[in-house]
Amino acid sequence: MKDKTKRMNTSIKTRYLRIIISLFSIIILLGSSSFIYLNKEQTRLQEAREVLQNKTNTIDVLAETLKEVIFRARSYAAFKSDNELELLNAELQKLNGLMNTYSMLDLSTEEAQFRDDIEAFYIQYKTDILPEVIRLVDADDYTGLRAFSQDGSSQVVNNFILYTKEFKQKSDHTLDAMAMDSMKKANNFTWIGYLFSTFVLLFFTWITWRIIKDLINPILLLEGATHSLAAGEEILLSQLHSQDEIGRLYNAFLDMARSIQDKEEELMMQNEELHAQQDELQAQQSKLQNSLSEINSMMKALDQSSAVGILTHKGVFTHANDNLSEYTQYKKSEIIGYTYRLFEVNNISSVQLQRIFRKLRNGGVWSDEVQILTKDESFLWLHLTAVPYLDENGNVYQYILIANDITSMKSAQQELANTLKNTQRTQKMLELNNQLNHEITYTLDKHEFVDKFIQFMNRLYSFDSSFFLLVRDKIAAVRGIPQESVERYIENENNEMLFRLQSEKSYIIKRLTTPSEQGISPDEMYSYDYYTTVVNAKDEILAVFCGSRVGHSFTKEEINEVQGMMNRVALAIERLFMYEEIEHGRKLNQDIVNNVNEGIQFVDSEGSILHINKTLRQIFDFRLSSEGTQIPKEQWMEHFTSKSTESKDIQLFYLTAISEYSVESSSMKYSIGSKPVKHIDVYAIPVFRRATRIGTLFVHRDITREYELDLMKSELVSTVSHELRTPLSSVLGFTELLLSKTMKPEKQLKYLETIHKEAKRLTDLINDFLDLQRMESGKQQYLTEHANLSEIVLGVIDQYKLSDTHQVLLVDEAQNAEVDVDKDKIVQVLTNLLSNAIKFSPNSSEVKVLLHNEPGHIVVQVQDTGMGIAQDQISQLFQKFRRIDNSASKRIGGTGLGLAICKEIIDKQQGTIGIDSVEGEGTTVWFRIPILHAEANGQEEDSNKWGGDKETKPNVMIVEDDYSLSLLLSEELKAKGFRVTHHYHPQKAYDQALKTSFVAIVVDLMLGEELDGWDLIRMLKTDPRTENIPIVISSALDKSDKDLMNNVVQKYLTKPYPPGELSNTLEEIVKIKQGMGEVLFPG
Amino acid sequence: MQKVLVVEDEEVLRMLIEDTLEELEGVEIHTAENGVEALAKLSTESYSLVLLDYMMPVLTGIEVLGQLDEATKSATPILMLTAKAQEMDRNRAILAGARYFMPKPFSPMELLQIVEGILSDERQD
Repeated sequence: MKDKTKRMNTSIKTRYLRIIISLFSIIILLGSSSFIYLNKEQTRLQEAREVLQNKTNTIDVLAETLKEVIFRARSYAAFKSDNELELLNAELQKLNGLMNTYSMLDLSTEEAQFRDDIEAFYIQYKTDILPEVIRLVDADDYTGLRAFSQDGSSQVVNNFILYTKEFKQKSDHTLDAMAMDSMKKANNFTWIGYLFSTFVLLFFTWITWRIIKDLINPILLLEGATHSLAAGEEILLSQLHSQDEIGRLYNAFLDMARSIQDKEEELMMQNEELHAQQDELQAQQSKLQNSLSEINSMMKALDQSSAVGILTHKGVFTHANDNLSEYTQYKKSEIIGYTYRLFEVNNISSVQLQRIFRKLRNGGVWSDEVQILTKDESFLWLHLTAVPYLDENGNVYQYILIANDITSMKSAQQELANTLKNTQRTQKMLELNNQLNHEITYTLDKHEFVDKFIQFMNRLYSFDSSFFLLVRDKIAAVRGIPQESVERYIENENNEMLFRLQSEKSYIIKRLTTPSEQGISPDEMYSYDYYTTVVNAKDEILAVFCGSRVGHSFTKEEINEVQGMMNRVALAIERLFMYEEIEHGRKLNQDIVNNVNEGIQFVDSEGSILHINKTLRQIFDFRLSSEGTQIPKEQWMEHFTSKSTESKDIQLFYLTAISEYSVESSSMKYSIGSKPVKHIDVYAIPVFRRATRIGTLFVHRDITREYELDLMKSELVSTVSHELRTPLSSVLGFTELLLSKTMKPEKQLKYLETIHKEAKRLTDLINDFLDLQRMESGKQQYLTEHANLSEIVLGVIDQYKLSDTHQVLLVDEAQNAEVDVDKDKIVQVLTNLLSNAIKFSPNSSEVKVLLHNEPGHIVVQVQDTGMGIAQDQISQLFQKFRRIDNSASKRIGGTGLGLAICKEIIDKQQGTIGIDSVEGEGTTVWFRIPILHAEANGQEEDSNKWGGDKETKPNVMIVEDDYSLSLLLSEELKAKGFRVTHHYHPQKAYDQALKTSFVAIVVDLMLGEELDGWDLIRMLKTDPRTENIPIVISSALDKSDKDLMNNVVQKYLTKPYPPGELSNTLEEIVKIKQGMGEVLFPG
Repeated sequence: MQKVLVVEDEEVLRMLIEDTLEELEGVEIHTAENGVEALAKLSTESYSLVLLDYMMPVLTGIEVLGQLDEATKSATPILMLTAKAQEMDRNRAILAGARYFMPKPFSPMELLQIVEGILSDERQD
């Protein structure tokens, strides 16, 4: 369909039809459009002419009328007739009408001017001139009339008449021009029409020419081609590309011509083939003749070389050649006439024989090697070929046998096979040996080695059981026997086997099989154990091998082989030992290098790290690459230098040290990391081996401690100098003021006091500093002695009895206060702590000292309710010159060494010291030191009849100003399980009683200046909160009946009394209290 | 009336300096116990001279100078008193903006002379 459309499009008919249609359309379009144009132009000209004509006519009439007006006016003037005047008026009327018509026309500027002039004239004439004329006429004033007519009033009329004449001329002229123009146009049209027809003619000529070209030329070509075809020549036509009718005809012709030619060629070829076949047939015939003669000669040759026999289809020899009788030792006459069964065939069974005959009967050829028995009973190998001869019906009518003697070849073959088998065996041995060599060469592990070896031996010799033992290491591999039996063997130092092997090196034991070896075999069997050794050059036994076989012994070859194997293994074992030794040495070196405190790094001349120890890895946090691998320069240097704060310097140092030109050791210091910063001293040593530079050794030493010590030392010097200069400034300054100025005595005194105080401070400072220095340097001698810590504490507190600002309260709960300490030093510590507590709690009036036991220790706490210390500053307190930096502490003063000294002392007493503090609430400084008889402590705890719990211990307060007595009483009471609080000031004791519940209060009557014991008792008894507390008086005064308060006192003890009496009294009180139902102490 | 500010944490030394400078006529002496107090006083009043201790708790003399605004620092001569008499400390003080430097222990009469000199210079300006 598409093709058809295409064909339609390309068809000549369609094409020309299309061309002609489009041309006609163009002609009609052009013709009609020019006709329309012409017609329009004519009409336009006609109209223009009419307009002009009309105008001319109007002007003419206008001029005529104007003339008439003048004429009538003149007549009127002349005749003075009313009729004339009427006519004049009628003319004027007419003029007016004409003027209107004129105005309606299309006027040029000039004409409009005229129209206006005439209109003006008309108006003037009608309004002025005419009435004047009429008046003049009526008055018969002709002289005036003449003068009037001469004053140019009729000038306009004259002008207009002149204009009409001009206009007429002009319009005539225009009409002429129009006529000329239309003539010219008509002429042009004639020309265009002529050109157009010429074009149409030319076009038709072209169309005709094209038709001729498109149709006639191909037809001529086709004609020529037809002649060529008829003449049988080759058609020299190329494909015509046009697809029109001619093109298709052309192509159809071409196809036809080609197919005719092809068929012709085919016929020719068939002809030639026939000729060739004929030739071939002839050739074959001659070849056949040749073959026949060749076969004859071949038969002759065959006769010469092989044994030939011909048999009938029944297997009876009809022909035998000389060779056949020669091979078989039978004479020809002995063969011919007999069947093939004459020859006994060894290697072919009757079944096979039948199969052979079947094959031959079907026309097949059979050929194989056969062994037959000759007449003289010897074997003969023949290569036998049997060929059947078939008649036209395909039946066998005879057989021909061709045989060659291959006996000698056969035996050679046999020999070859044997040799091959031997070679294979040797090769296998070699391979196994290689494998063994390979395995033992690449094994550096002894266990693996023995295992592989025994595996190998078993594969080679198939032992029933075997073991291989490395004598020195007692490492054994076992096959077929339990591991333990060999281990037992090994354990036995002087075993028989080794002893025998020492002298014999190898031996075989023949023995009856064990039941397990024998298995299910019913007969008595023997087992053969082959023991052999691996010895080194010094004839020492390195290893023992034993292989055991049940039932058959070992051949000489086997023994030789195994022995050879043992020699080879000796080398491997020695190598193994050597490797182990080297490895051991290497490991040792590595351990040494890894465990030194210095970071060590060995770098080859290229800069790659060959070895880096653990310490250095830690210093640089270097985790890259595992041990034993080379690390390229770029890799480690980048890492190392980036870690350091002096990257540039250390890089330069590295590069210089690694470069081959540096032959001397060099060193530098650098720091690494941040928080904490490590300070490292590195030195580089070039390493030579026989004058050849092989690398550089870098040793990095962590000198952070030295560095920091250095820093601390200079800081200390600076601080000490500052601390010393400050009081010195005061001393020198005030002295100078005293010397140089005159002043009042009070001021002088004040200055002197200041000087004294500051000088004392300076002395304290120097003393403290020297003390500390002595302690730190270990030169301080400690006089350790047995002491009671409670006693020491009470003694120190006693010194503060007279303090007017602070009360020191002791709460003693320690059951065991026996310690071994330097008493004076502990006093120094306590004094220091107490004075600190007082100094730093200026707004408080109480400092508490608490004693209690912890397992194996006694703890002393000094508590104040002062300003406290910020948490982050606590740790600094024990450092030298570290006071808390605030103005309050500054005002309080001190050397800043006190706590450092305390710590030093407590440390030396095997104790610990610490601070707990809450800023703004107070500080507790505590220390703990080990007690004597710590083990007895537990029993003492048990003696607490009030129960072990601290909270349930009965509280007793002793108000006593004699500390030795106080101590005595407290020891007694503590032993009885009381918790003792000491006080020596009545007011404070009273305040304490309000805070703590006591089971009893022991009061001394002679207490102080202001208040005495009685005052305290009074205060207690008058206060409802404390009135029920039993009071025990402990006084040197005799009980006086005068005392009013006697009745409120529970017990009156007069000093001296045995301490037991007090404790008994108190125990009674407690019991009474319980008896009264006041359950204070359960249990 | 010229004003001198004495910044010294040690009460005794403060008294010594005050008593020393007492005899200067037409000079009012103010004191501050620490750096914070000193900065507060310097921000409200202008002084002809500041005697500043180097080692003080809370703020050291150097830190006080560091926190002082430039205008005050350039307008006020500062005499640094220090027990740290090393060259480095001296340089540090000068770098921080102290114009004068006096090591402890100092002679009160010498101090008086120096202060007198500075104050008369200030008066002429």
